[in-house]
Amino acid sequence: MGHCCALRAAGRKGVRRLTPHVRLRGIDKRFGSVVALEAVSLEVEKGTIHAIVGENGAGKTTLMKVLYGSHPPDDGTIEVGGEAVAFRDSADAIRHRIGMVSQHYSIIPELTCLQNLILGAEPAAFLDEQAIEARAQMLAAKMGFSFAWSEPAANLSPAGAQKLEILKLLWREADVMILDEPTAMLSPADAEALFESLTALADQGRTILLVTHRLPEVLRFCKRADVLRGGKNVATTEVAETSAGQLAEWIVGHAMSEPVVGSFEPGEAVLETRGLTVRGDRGDEAVRGVDVLIRSGEVVGLAGVDGNGQRELYDALVGVGEVLAGDVFMEGADIGRLNPGERIARGLRLIPEDRHTQGVIEDWSLEANAALGLHRLGDLRRGQWVHAPARRRLAERIAERFRTKHGGLHQPMRSLSGGNQQRFVAARSLEFAPRLMLAFQPTRGLDIDGTQAVYEAIRNRCREGAAALVASFDLDELLEHCDRIVVIRGGRIYEPPAPQARDRNAIGRLMVGAEAGLSA
Amino acid sequence: MSGRLITLILVSFLLVIGALMLAGVMPLDALSVLGETFRQKGAWTRTLRETTPLLIAGVAVFLGLRAGLFNIGVEGQFLLGALTAAFVGLLVSGPLGVILAVIAGSVAGALWAWPAGWIKAYRGGHEVITTIMLNNVAAFFTTWLVAGPLKAPNQESTTTAALPAMTRLPSLYSSPPFFLNVALLLAVLMVVALAIWLKRTVAGYELSATGANAIAAEVAGVNVKRMTVRAMAASGAIGGLAGACQVLAYEWRFYEGFSPGYGFDALGVALLAGATPWGLLPASVLFGLLTTSSTALAANGVPRGLNGVLLGLLIIGFAAYRYRRKRT
Repeated sequence: MGHCCALRAAGRKGVRRLTPHVRLRGIDKRFGSVVALEAVSLEVEKGTIHAIVGENGAGKTTLMKVLYGSHPPDDGTIEVGGEAVAFRDSADAIRHRIGMVSQHYSIIPELTCLQNLILGAEPAAFLDEQAIEARAQMLAAKMGFSFAWSEPAANLSPAGAQKLEILKLLWREADVMILDEPTAMLSPADAEALFESLTALADQGRTILLVTHRLPEVLRFCKRADVLRGGKNVATTEVAETSAGQLAEWIVGHAMSEPVVGSFEPGEAVLETRGLTVRGDRGDEAVRGVDVLIRSGEVVGLAGVDGNGQRELYDALVGVGEVLAGDVFMEGADIGRLNPGERIARGLRLIPEDRHTQGVIEDWSLEANAALGLHRLGDLRRGQWVHAPARRRLAERIAERFRTKHGGLHQPMRSLSGGNQQRFVAARSLEFAPRLMLAFQPTRGLDIDGTQAVYEAIRNRCREGAAALVASFDLDELLEHCDRIVVIRGGRIYEPPAPQARDRNAIGRLMVGAEAGLSA
Repeated sequence: MSGRLITLILVSFLLVIGALMLAGVMPLDALSVLGETFRQKGAWTRTLRETTPLLIAGVAVFLGLRAGLFNIGVEGQFLLGALTAAFVGLLVSGPLGVILAVIAGSVAGALWAWPAGWIKAYRGGHEVITTIMLNNVAAFFTTWLVAGPLKAPNQESTTTAALPAMTRLPSLYSSPPFFLNVALLLAVLMVVALAIWLKRTVAGYELSATGANAIAAEVAGVNVKRMTVRAMAASGAIGGLAGACQVLAYEWRFYEGFSPGYGFDALGVALLAGATPWGLLPASVLFGLLTTSSTALAANGVPRGLNGVLLGLLIIGFAAYRYRRKRT
């Protein structure tokens, strides 16, 4: 109660700039011998959207978890509304009206939307469902959201889940809302709508901390930004006074080189599909009559909102999907009936979307994982025997390429962080002269430098005559690194007309199916 | 970490001591009985004799586990392999008969396991269910055969005729009452072969990948369905081989109630072995020792079931220990 009154008093005196809503001072946080945060200070104005930007591992999420009480700091102070606080855990932080939505949603798919909303913050031991639903409805209406409250949350789209997460914070009456990469899984249109809601919340006086790596979001919607690098706060700026280039430089610590895009002569067709139709999980046609043509030398981006057939298309190209109709040609040869092993032998490589289930065997050593999928190629086998020295050399080369941080090639894959696993998997796909590289979110979990390096390596292979298809939910990333972009929506492929081939808005409209407005 | 393991073993032993006392036996008396028993060479012969089928059947289960298959059907494959070996050994005598019997026993085991692999790969039926059912079929089928068509004509009991002396696996070393049969050497060689095969061959790599992560294996170009069928058949072949060796080395005949549950104990051996095939060696010897001990104690009034209790505790303890290690 006390801090509320203090806030209101501060507001009335008009000293908001002097008494920020949240103030962190000299925060230190170590995990064992690793210094995650070092003397980080941060001031967040009430009623604004404040961006925390930085590379993966810069300490953004850790800093937010310090504020949210789940990582008590080793040193430093936290003030909320001018009052010093020391949270023992998140429940403590929630009582002080601080809420956080993690990168990985905490929605439980088996529960209904309403049950998810109140989980952990039930108003009483015996639930009065009608009263709860009425209040939930009121909160949702205020935000312009609508939910089928008694439906299982499993039916929510990514955007719907994100909205429910935000509503959970409102249900808990959070004044300070921390959002960790909230748009990672959203389409441009859904992201836009999310920021509309966030702006409205900020205007009502709520303070929003936005952890993101998408600089356009920062520039468009945030008031101020703090940049973290290597656990330190390296810059604090009014967003109006900076630029994307400046922010990127702060983030990586050096000036960025411009990627080379589109400066090549496409060669022979490497991948061609004709009328490819693939069955989805639910027995429907997840991919419908897709024709794509990718030529030697090309890096083609596959844009689209999650769940529009990307997964099934990739499965079919790799040889594990259930093709209902159509043909797949690789360098002129019909590979539609070949199994994955035979396709790999012809030079097909995959950077899978779901690294844990498709890309690595976590119990195995890095060395054993290095050969996974390549194990029948080149010098990795001698007749029916594994050629261990060649495999060791391969593992060293793979770990070297994107500087995978590891504690020895005999360590199990699970000992690596997600980003380092991704480096390893991406590097593996470049081995043994690939002809066709299928990459699905190839830079997931990578920092800016890592992203740059992976795309550069893919491009180099394409210069040598390979071709690449890169699927991503991040349109900006595709625009930056691909020669050409096609859109998948509802299992069909759409190509933006030539004058708008690189037009962000035009492609965004294709992604959500609003192209009707284009032709009108 | 290993302190925790020692605690675990100690607790198991304390529980067993408690159970002994509940059964009305003083633990020290039990110990002295055991000491007396193992001073005799015969006890070691019995221990190694028990170890042999457990080790070979353990290899069968272990191979299945590495491919992600829980082959509970080793018991049935063991019975089929044993009966087939006895049948072939009675048809063809001499060393050739021994070799043919071993091969026939393995083939019978493989054929008995094959449907479970096929159903798993192409119809999605779980191998635990199918192999348990096949066990029952195997038990009744072999009992019927040995009670009817294959019954020795001049015998009261339901048994085949005995194999002639020249159609048996010989002793490698004998100084009565101590015998070491060739079958045990064969069992150890199988462990060595399995260890090398899994680690050093492309097929072993692909089989392990299938067991560790079938989806990743498929994307990596492994024909997972075919691998599943083959791994199940190979596991069954080894289970059948275990039965054949039991007939050719120790029993020299097949009879009703041939297996006291070697196929099931082999599950424990394989689970206790942990991550590498080498663990099968101490695990099977431990099982053998406990079986011999419980026989000796049973003569002094300790229920045989106690053996199972101790094994159960050990397996649960090891499983818990390994699971913890995996998580952290």
